Amino acid sequence: MRFAVLQLTGCAGCEVSLLNAGDELNLANLAYMPLLVSAHDVPEDVDVLLVTGGIRTDEDLLKLRDSAGKVKKIIAVGTCAISGGVAGLGDRHDIREHFLAQANKGRVPRMLPKCSPIDTEVEVDNYLPGCPPVPELYIKLLNDPQSLKTTSIVCKECGRKKPKEIRPDTLTAGIHKDIDPELCLVKQGQLCVGTSTRNGCGAICPRAGFPCVGCRGPSNNLIEKDADAWFESLISIFRRMTDIDPVLISEALKSPHFALFLFQFSDYADTELEKRPKEKVL
Amino acid sequence: MTTTIQFPVSRIEGHAKVIVDISNGQVRSARFLAQEYRGFEQFLQGMPADQMPVIVPRICGVCSTSHHIAAVEALEDAYGVTPPDIAKKIRHLMMVGQLVQNQATSLFFFTMPDKLQATSIFGADENLGKETLGSISKKAMAIRKIGTELISLAGGQFIHPVKAVVGGVVSGIDRDAAAVMQEKIKKALPLACNLFDEYWKLTEKLAETVGHWEGDDPFYYMVAVDKHDPTLPVDYITMQRSDNSETVTFSAADYAEHLQFHRVQDSFSSKTSFNDLPIRANSLARMNLIENPGTPIATGYLERFRIEFGTPAHQILLFDLCRGIELINGLERANSLLSENLQEGEMNVPVTPRDGIGYGLVEAPRGPLIHNFHIKDGLIEKAGFVIPTVHNNFAIEQALTTMAKRYVSEDRIDLGLDKAMGWVVRAFDPCIACATH
Repeated sequence: MRFAVLQLTGCAGCEVSLLNAGDELNLANLAYMPLLVSAHDVPEDVDVLLVTGGIRTDEDLLKLRDSAGKVKKIIAVGTCAISGGVAGLGDRHDIREHFLAQANKGRVPRMLPKCSPIDTEVEVDNYLPGCPPVPELYIKLLNDPQSLKTTSIVCKECGRKKPKEIRPDTLTAGIHKDIDPELCLVKQGQLCVGTSTRNGCGAICPRAGFPCVGCRGPSNNLIEKDADAWFESLISIFRRMTDIDPVLISEALKSPHFALFLFQFSDYADTELEKRPKEKVL
Repeated sequence: MTTTIQFPVSRIEGHAKVIVDISNGQVRSARFLAQEYRGFEQFLQGMPADQMPVIVPRICGVCSTSHHIAAVEALEDAYGVTPPDIAKKIRHLMMVGQLVQNQATSLFFFTMPDKLQATSIFGADENLGKETLGSISKKAMAIRKIGTELISLAGGQFIHPVKAVVGGVVSGIDRDAAAVMQEKIKKALPLACNLFDEYWKLTEKLAETVGHWEGDDPFYYMVAVDKHDPTLPVDYITMQRSDNSETVTFSAADYAEHLQFHRVQDSFSSKTSFNDLPIRANSLARMNLIENPGTPIATGYLERFRIEFGTPAHQILLFDLCRGIELINGLERANSLLSENLQEGEMNVPVTPRDGIGYGLVEAPRGPLIHNFHIKDGLIEKAGFVIPTVHNNFAIEQALTTMAKRYVSEDRIDLGLDKAMGWVVRAFDPCIACATH
């Protein structure tokens, strides 16, 4: 199977993660990926095209349309390609006009009015979320896609204990500390959203003592529902596990500046993202 | 007659192109232009300051560790916090991991294919056949992975690390895990030396045909590292003129007084100069300005380097060899850091956030990186990122122009120009996602 990686506007983290999976992949089959391979274009004989990054400029859009016509299958990889990601923060109401005015000076690729996920322009066969997806996910994706079908939540891979009798009543502010490396971060009063985030990442952040910020997106139970359903679910989980005022949780979750938004909702400009069928999300 | 030729550049981080302007058979200029932009300095305005260490690593997936730590240090500066020593060591280890990862990637995945006349390292494997070097890509991946495993161990995850927090680090490093890592490093070190030796030979071979591309014009080297440990950042920047006639130091907070920033119409990246001259940061700057790397094998390599090329050595092609010396140095450093206690003791100190201005300075693989935050009501009022690739932009263009002249004559343009432009750019290992952010 010949595959290629089209890099749109992003940070190259997804490509670096793919490179880390290199031991287990046959990278001689990599037909195009500007970070590693010098080739001017996606060639015609490609089976699978992985697209990383969001559509930020007119050049991104042209490259995406041109490449999509040449390949058999398209997989949106990483948060930027799936929901706009960090560059989508430029779409925030209070910043957007200023941002576009600044950026669209001079003889450079033109910024589009919004940073968009790739499925707004081309048909996507599968989504591989994560910021970035961990190397193990690429190995499964490229060697044995069937093994990616069933997913659960990050807690399943985290393994921190959730004793019933421990019920924090305050939400830990800003700076994170891991007071007990065995104890669930929610039980430490931290805004960890691993309880409803798709697993597959190996829970690397909460296991290292840092709360999950939801970069893999909602679990299968929530993925076909809207953002409110996700928030409601998180609030009810906090109610079950802690004595923290649900109003505080709700406010913290819905703060437009919370990192969760950064990874999942590029809807600052009032566009509802189309819901992706769970069969397509890996 | 005026001609403009464009070359997209691959095997670097991000989207950029080289433009060569030719007039009546003479190269007028060669420019290096960044073609992507996300607007971090703008969209971070109004965001809570405490989110910076999670958000700003996303400036770049290659250099995320540097951004993670620079952001934490900028906030610590604003809040008046000093992290405990053990946290400083763990952050140091994270940065060493990043250096190993980056130098291995640049050396073996970005530039080695040029030296083997291949379009990628995987293609080079096929060209050479197994008997020559074995599978280079497999070896390169194994060496590179030591770097990413070090970042994971110290930083929680290797692309956008999470473990540095304002006041220290979230948690320590388990002694057993450190011992396992040391064993891996010990195995990787001879492999890395072996591959670097091959690389050194290939570089000499390439230099025989195309030279080392030294220009005579003066410039400044720029570093922010300890003279006896180039993996250890210091809290000031040193500028040294290429003829050694002048050395200037300044703190991160004073950068705007010392560096001139130039905006251009056709690139999303600006360019920096110092005293109206170009700047060279990155590996060659470090290896020229330090006394010694402070570890035995790397010191041996640097001595050999200095005997062969002099001190300071200015040829562009030597950036790559310096990266190799730093790769070995990084592996040795990581090994000794892992012998220290990273498990027991105070990992972080209490923090009381306050408004104000903070600067964070780290030596990223590409040179000194500064983060600057103005905080008001706990929110970012203004964010500034001073990026090493931006410092190198004038030097890149100077080197591109020198090189292009060799391929252009009055009656013809040599077809090798395309490749040669790539060689020059890759020697500087620019990072476009960082440069434009």
